[in-house]
Amino acid sequence: MADRSHIVKSYEQELGQLRSMMAQMGGIVENQVALALSAIADRNEEAADAAARQDPEVDQLEREVEGLAIRLLALRSPMAGDLREIVAALKITGDLERIGDYASSIARRSLRIRMPENQISLSGLRSMGRLVQENLRRSIDAITQQDSNRAMEVWHSDRAVDEYYTALFRELVTYMMEDARNIRACTELLFIAKNLERIGDHATNVAERVFYAVTGDNLPSLRPRGAPASALTATETMQEPDVR
Amino acid sequence: MTEIDLQVAKSPEVALAVRNLNFYYGENHALHDISIDFPARRVTAMIGPSGCGKSTLLRIFNRMYDLYPGQRATGEVIFDGRNVLERDLDLNILRARVGMVFQKPTPFPMSIYDNIAFGVRLHEKLNKADMDARVQDVLTRVALWNEVRDRLNAPASGLSGGQQQRLCIARSIATRPEVLLLDEPTSALDPISTARIEELLDELKEEFTIAIVTHNMQQAARCADQVAFFYMGRLIEVDSADRMFTNPKQQQTQDYITGRFG
Repeated sequence: MADRSHIVKSYEQELGQLRSMMAQMGGIVENQVALALSAIADRNEEAADAAARQDPEVDQLEREVEGLAIRLLALRSPMAGDLREIVAALKITGDLERIGDYASSIARRSLRIRMPENQISLSGLRSMGRLVQENLRRSIDAITQQDSNRAMEVWHSDRAVDEYYTALFRELVTYMMEDARNIRACTELLFIAKNLERIGDHATNVAERVFYAVTGDNLPSLRPRGAPASALTATETMQEPDVR
Repeated sequence: MTEIDLQVAKSPEVALAVRNLNFYYGENHALHDISIDFPARRVTAMIGPSGCGKSTLLRIFNRMYDLYPGQRATGEVIFDGRNVLERDLDLNILRARVGMVFQKPTPFPMSIYDNIAFGVRLHEKLNKADMDARVQDVLTRVALWNEVRDRLNAPASGLSGGQQQRLCIARSIATRPEVLLLDEPTSALDPISTARIEELLDELKEEFTIAIVTHNMQQAARCADQVAFFYMGRLIEVDSADRMFTNPKQQQTQDYITGRFG
């Protein structure tokens, strides 16, 4: 019983294929997020275009992962750990696709920001971006290495992302109150911050699903949360205008 | 825990309680220190590779092994307050209360009607009308009545495999047992007949305690409330069906049900 591979080799191969598609998809959205962040930080239009251009590929991979997962469910009647892994893949692929969407939304927005001179610091946004990127990287490592400890790290770290978002929110609102000419740029930055926060959330979802697939247990339904954006939270329910 | 888990957990009544059971085929120690409860009016499925002891355990419950020399059991199987393994137990009564259905349908070489009446006559004196009613009742409950009502006196051997198996189940419940043992009851049947039997189990469990041995994992998942995994004569794990098939605790169980046994 030492051998942990399936007696049916084609089943093992299909599971391997599912894992490699997940890894590929993870790699692409990770790259999209990196490009989007560089688009903001360096006002890099090429990076912004490149981030947006990868959307169709991610969508295509999502459909392929779904197709393969459904096929495995129908033909292999997976049980126990296999069942959990396949169901997790089905959900993770949706999270990754959303992350890709948010990344290209950030990239497109970055092109539209007309930054008022010397007024607004982007350092908070950059730090938040780095943390979200780090969490995403760890989530994707958790997928490829089936590592529940990695997943747990991400889950704990989501609180810091929320705190960054809250701080950034206050900062940007302050800029807007100081000078009405900041409003346009700060609104865009606010949406970018919100998109980053959503990417962090989806990365945490991925981590939770990996944790379940690996251990069979759920992480507590309540995540460790950062402080809410207090009186200003009303804005969080604001509808994001379509930026496409 | 889900509601289904709770149902298994809180079913207070235990129909069969196995305690420290060991079984030997001559020198061969086939079951090692098995302890497990079979909750009343629930389906317990026993799974495991060939030779793991699951059928042996089933055959202990109605003392089938008594038919063969050199086979012996130690420990306890408590059924209605008595140890089934006691020497002076009346086996005819035990087997009427603990019915058994085998892998291959085993109709007697007689009419459909007599297949059912035969066992009943051994234990009860019924007049013709009552016997007719009993036969109709059990055939209806196994969903066979409409198919055979016009040919009750025809030989049972003329029925299809699936019909024969349902007849055998009808025959075992005709003596009004409390426990029904099923040893791979659908392995020789097509998917439709299998579905009929599984549907039947669902209805029968309202009244009977059912223990089923199956090699079909999906069948265990579909039918059973509780699942027990055996390997090399040992009980490795027992849990509610949904935990067993989504998150088994033992690596051996996980390997077996996912098809990784080398």
